[in-house]
Amino acid sequence: MPGTDQAVGGRREAPAAPPPPSRARASAPPRTGSVRGRGSLVAWALLTPAGLVMLAVTVAPIAFLVYASFTDYDQRSLFTGAFDVVGARQYTDLLADAEFWRSLARTVVFTAAMVAGSVAIGAGVAQLLTRLGPAMRMTVTVVLILAWAMPTVASSLVWKWLFQPGYGVVNWMLTRTGLFGDMTDTDWSNSAPLAYVSIWLLIVWQAVPFIALTLYAALIQMPAELQEAARLDGAGEWRVWWSVTLPFLRPTLTLITLMSVIWDFNVFNQIWLVSAGGPDSATTTLGVFAYRTAFVAFKVGQGAALSVVTTVLLLAVTALYIRRLLRSGEDL
Amino acid sequence: MTARRFRRGRVVGNTVAVVFCLVWLFPVYWMVNTAFKPRSEAMTATPRFWPGAPTLHNFDVALNGTEFWTNLTNSLLVVGVTVVISIVLGMFAAAALSRFRFGGRRTVMVAILVAQMLPGTALLVPTFLVFNEAGLLGTYTGLVLAYLALTLPFSIWVMRGFFLTVPVEVEEAARIDGASTWQVLWRILFPLVLPGVIASSVFAFIAAWNDYLIAYTFMKEQSQYTLPVWLASFTNPAQGTDYSAQMAGSVVFSLPVVVFFLLIQRKLVSGMSAGAVKG
Repeated sequence: MPGTDQAVGGRREAPAAPPPPSRARASAPPRTGSVRGRGSLVAWALLTPAGLVMLAVTVAPIAFLVYASFTDYDQRSLFTGAFDVVGARQYTDLLADAEFWRSLARTVVFTAAMVAGSVAIGAGVAQLLTRLGPAMRMTVTVVLILAWAMPTVASSLVWKWLFQPGYGVVNWMLTRTGLFGDMTDTDWSNSAPLAYVSIWLLIVWQAVPFIALTLYAALIQMPAELQEAARLDGAGEWRVWWSVTLPFLRPTLTLITLMSVIWDFNVFNQIWLVSAGGPDSATTTLGVFAYRTAFVAFKVGQGAALSVVTTVLLLAVTALYIRRLLRSGEDL
Repeated sequence: MTARRFRRGRVVGNTVAVVFCLVWLFPVYWMVNTAFKPRSEAMTATPRFWPGAPTLHNFDVALNGTEFWTNLTNSLLVVGVTVVISIVLGMFAAAALSRFRFGGRRTVMVAILVAQMLPGTALLVPTFLVFNEAGLLGTYTGLVLAYLALTLPFSIWVMRGFFLTVPVEVEEAARIDGASTWQVLWRILFPLVLPGVIASSVFAFIAAWNDYLIAYTFMKEQSQYTLPVWLASFTNPAQGTDYSAQMAGSVVFSLPVVVFFLLIQRKLVSGMSAGAVKG
């Protein structure tokens, strides 16, 4: 993929490997080493330790998750170990639960809003980076990295402080603009739309750096002649972007969008720490709903069914993502 | 483009860049600013944009308050062990996936990518149940195992990328000199991918260091918390949230991550393509 071609580090020391041909996946033995001849025995021996750990910590739990979703595992079961297999009841209950559908709808809408916001702003910043002098570009990059590096727990707490009623600096600034009246004591986590806005801002703030830097990395690999030729043909700046830059960026953009969908669909920490899913359940997305069901209400079986549904929904996006990755020349 | 248009473009670009920097930097600045303000300056009707009487008192409150050092030790221990295991196992697996051609390789690669993309709550629920049965809830071993689920697929993926950058000729030369498969791996390949090992360690460190959800769900005793849980629970119930001390704690907690990000920023961009940091 163009954006990540100076990729996974280190490529600088190998004599600049040519970018992998995009259809290399069909028959792709070129990069494998001479040890290949020793065949699969050594390979599987090397894979085994990691494979065993992954079986234990990923595959087995997922299998157990599916099993648990067909049981009535609850708080009592945690102590007694006793639970019954209840068949598909957890699923039929779930599908009959209006709160499930509301959470699903919230998650979809919220994910769409976050992805749209972060990709649009990220693309804008990437474009901006190409137009700056070296000093300014460095400054923007460092600012991006600082925002990106903040651990979600820390940034969620900072957010609560920024939006704190009474002494929060955001309320103070908004009050000063005079646009919304006196907002000094507005409690953002206590109003559904405001809670959404503040969480949206937090997610977008954290997501933009990666998107901007990745798209910028793709942009600087674009041959300048492409744009020059379009300009010579009399195309305006907007037209050049639409007809030349955008098509060039499309593979990277698609990949980034798919990743953002997966990440944003799963956002948990920020919502949990900023609004705890409230007020009422206004910001309860599927992840928060599953967590509350399994670990607050301790309806573990129901929570498991919810997690299965969430995972199945995400697998579709993940499949698209992996297909894209394959197509963009990752030699799997 | 004429020179004048070019210059005007620069001015517009620089203006937008400055505004963007101010907006994006502000939360970070506000955290640091608050961390150095005495409580009386932090909680004011009109915010102070610069600490009038900068103080380290908040750091003192945060660091010498409830269990900071214990929880820091927990974090370092659990994260350290996680990183070492995922790097060692990841390196072997990455070697297999990048230097050998064998049936099922593609399936393994796809499985790793899927594992990387699984939603956090999907693993959380069953892991909780299994650990409950196995008596691993509230233990550091349990936490390490849960973090391996987080870091191992990613370490494999990233190191595989590094292995691919080592030219085949290097190996072939060693082979001609009579080196065995093991010698090729140990003496030639592993040293050459050392930068990748370092980058992957940092990724794994960040992912485990930042985890809140798993530690929050699995560890019930305050003395067993890791730093993110410590930070999130760090309030002063008597006087409401002590934001100044909380921001000081946030600065301390974020600092290592920020330093690492600045060091490996380029690799991060590419590494993230594999779904580096969850949540």
